[in-house]
Amino acid sequence: MFSKLKKLKLATLAFATVIAGGAVADTIKIAGWGAKSGPLRSFGVNSEAIIKAAIDRVNETGGVKLADGSMAKMSYDYYDSACNPEQAITIARKVASETDALIGIGPTCSGVAAALFGIFQKKVGDSSDTGLQMPLLTDTAVRNGLAQISQWTFRNTPNEPDMYDKLFAWLRKTHPEIKTIYGGTETDQGHSAGTYSIVIVQAAIRHGFEWVNGPIDEVTGKIGEGRANVLKSSSNWLMADTNFSVQARAFKKSGADLFIVSSHPFTTCGFLKELGRMKAMPKMMVGLTSSSSAETLKGCPKQAEGMIIPTSFAPITPAAKEVAALAAANGGAADLHSAAAWENVMIIKDVIEAVGITGDPSKVKEERAKIRDGLEALETTEGLIGKVTRVQDQGEALKPFVFVHAQNGNWEVLHDPRN
Amino acid sequence: MEFYLGILQTIGFHTLLGLSAYLLLLTGQLSMAQVGFFAIGAYASGILTVIYGLHIFLALGVGAVTASFFAFLVGFPALRIKGLMLVIATIAFSEIVRLYFFNLRWRIEKGGVEVGPDGAQGFREIRYFAANGWEPYQIVSFIWIVVILVIAALWWLDRVKVGSVLRAVGEDELAAQSSGVNLTIVKVSAMTGGGFIAGIAGGLYAHSTTYVDHNSFTILLATFAVAYPILGGLKNVFGTLFAVVFIQGILIEGLRFLGDYRNLLFGLLIIIVMNFYPKGLINIPIFNFSRRTKKGDT
Repeated sequence: MFSKLKKLKLATLAFATVIAGGAVADTIKIAGWGAKSGPLRSFGVNSEAIIKAAIDRVNETGGVKLADGSMAKMSYDYYDSACNPEQAITIARKVASETDALIGIGPTCSGVAAALFGIFQKKVGDSSDTGLQMPLLTDTAVRNGLAQISQWTFRNTPNEPDMYDKLFAWLRKTHPEIKTIYGGTETDQGHSAGTYSIVIVQAAIRHGFEWVNGPIDEVTGKIGEGRANVLKSSSNWLMADTNFSVQARAFKKSGADLFIVSSHPFTTCGFLKELGRMKAMPKMMVGLTSSSSAETLKGCPKQAEGMIIPTSFAPITPAAKEVAALAAANGGAADLHSAAAWENVMIIKDVIEAVGITGDPSKVKEERAKIRDGLEALETTEGLIGKVTRVQDQGEALKPFVFVHAQNGNWEVLHDPRN
Repeated sequence: MEFYLGILQTIGFHTLLGLSAYLLLLTGQLSMAQVGFFAIGAYASGILTVIYGLHIFLALGVGAVTASFFAFLVGFPALRIKGLMLVIATIAFSEIVRLYFFNLRWRIEKGGVEVGPDGAQGFREIRYFAANGWEPYQIVSFIWIVVILVIAALWWLDRVKVGSVLRAVGEDELAAQSSGVNLTIVKVSAMTGGGFIAGIAGGLYAHSTTYVDHNSFTILLATFAVAYPILGGLKNVFGTLFAVVFIQGILIEGLRFLGDYRNLLFGLLIIIVMNFYPKGLINIPIFNFSRRTKKGDT
């Protein structure tokens, strides 16, 4: 009898030890979401393809090291948020409250990110703020300054002011014959119009290029100055437009040496085709970062020939080449947006290993906070084409970049400012 | 739990948007202007809480009154046209509103940061709920109290003489006018009332999503607004609610696991429902309360 009681006690003790000691997970879950339907579907498809490749790579190399030294596999769920704020918010709530995912990656669209980031707690530890408390590391949404909306949101997206500043400085130096500029943008897209009117034109003016019809009021080269006048002086279109004859005629009539075309691949191609039809190709063209993708070259390789774009991704290193191949194998394409998803998975792995995560589902809230702190503390991360500097108080990144131009249906590196 | 509460929020303000169109459909007016009123309510109440720091109740009220004022103005020219012409005219109105907000830049500095509408960059950080410590269940409760009040008001309206007058105008304008019904008052009142409800819905939407821009108020949302009562059925006010639950709850959220096939099935299910129940979801036997009640009575 005594022996049976002792056995029962021992069994109870062993069970209690397991429970109290905290279960260590064999899988670390992350979540991703982006546009997998609608006009920007390719962005979500590319991101998912690369997240899958990155997770496979982590798992093939043993997984992620947990706090107790054991290794766990990583897994992911990817949701279609359709470039729709309501859907992205619903997914974020689902991931935060219904899953054990420790961190999210996404979303695709800047307008969606602007809404999504707003439902997160603005300042960590502010008990009066009931916003979501889960870290998010964005790969795609690139509009200026979004990560500052919440201390739980981080981005690994390119820094366009720096990119265009360096691009126009280089163009000024290497192409002194290019003097005048003219441009246009898709005004209903916050990223295209914002980057064009706040960043690109100012960078060109700052480095001595002249607006073809004379100086634009209030535009002195300082970021953001006279942005409304920039838009008024340009020839613009909308993302749903299919006819660009008026705009192309205005570009042709301007006779500028350099055209700035700040739009996503879909209208960039429509516009360039019309420009080509009018035989109005300029000496030089500069495009929006988002157009340095496979979509542009699929849509209008001939017309985009020679277009110069600064980009934070090009297959110029062994790692970048490998990711491009893996993305293709998974049915996607690596570009400056989707390639960041690879870097994000690797950043998450490194942070998990650095801050000591158990993966215990009962500690999800606590471990999400640990990962957030770990992300905030990062000073640099390893990028596919070089070291990425974190802007710690803003949750943003300063990524290395190169200048590419379209050559024979490919994006070829024109200049590498890293050297 | 927060996920389900989030879906309930979405269903709540979409139901209000659908009900604003329902009120007009009772009078036979197919209006695409509801999304314009929705946008006015969203921006107005957002500006009031973010820039002026007003309480959400007051901001929503002012937003709804502003939207209803514009609806009142739209109501008069709308009297002169009907059918497809009204659809085109109200689309034009919604586009004017959308493009106005697309160009609206009203930024002030608050706490060291600029806040307010910023044209194509949108209107960020409409965070009244989270910033004031509202828990998700409180937000949902608030939204649904508003929804229930509106449903109750419309239900009651449908059971008094006013409701009969609205439906009489919707059935046959000429006959109603011959019976002494003042078409101007009826149609303009319905437009104003619909604008008020859409204005509240817009305010709740802006504060739930924390961000609005011109892309939030496209023709697609206007189509959804009229699709809800048509798909749900105009027999009574609950048809709209069923349709919103069907679209937002089942088709959009429930089928998310289908990935890319979701949108295909989405359209297919709507076609099937409209074919089998052309008078709306409310006529599906399990939802047909009135018929069941009659059977019970006998």
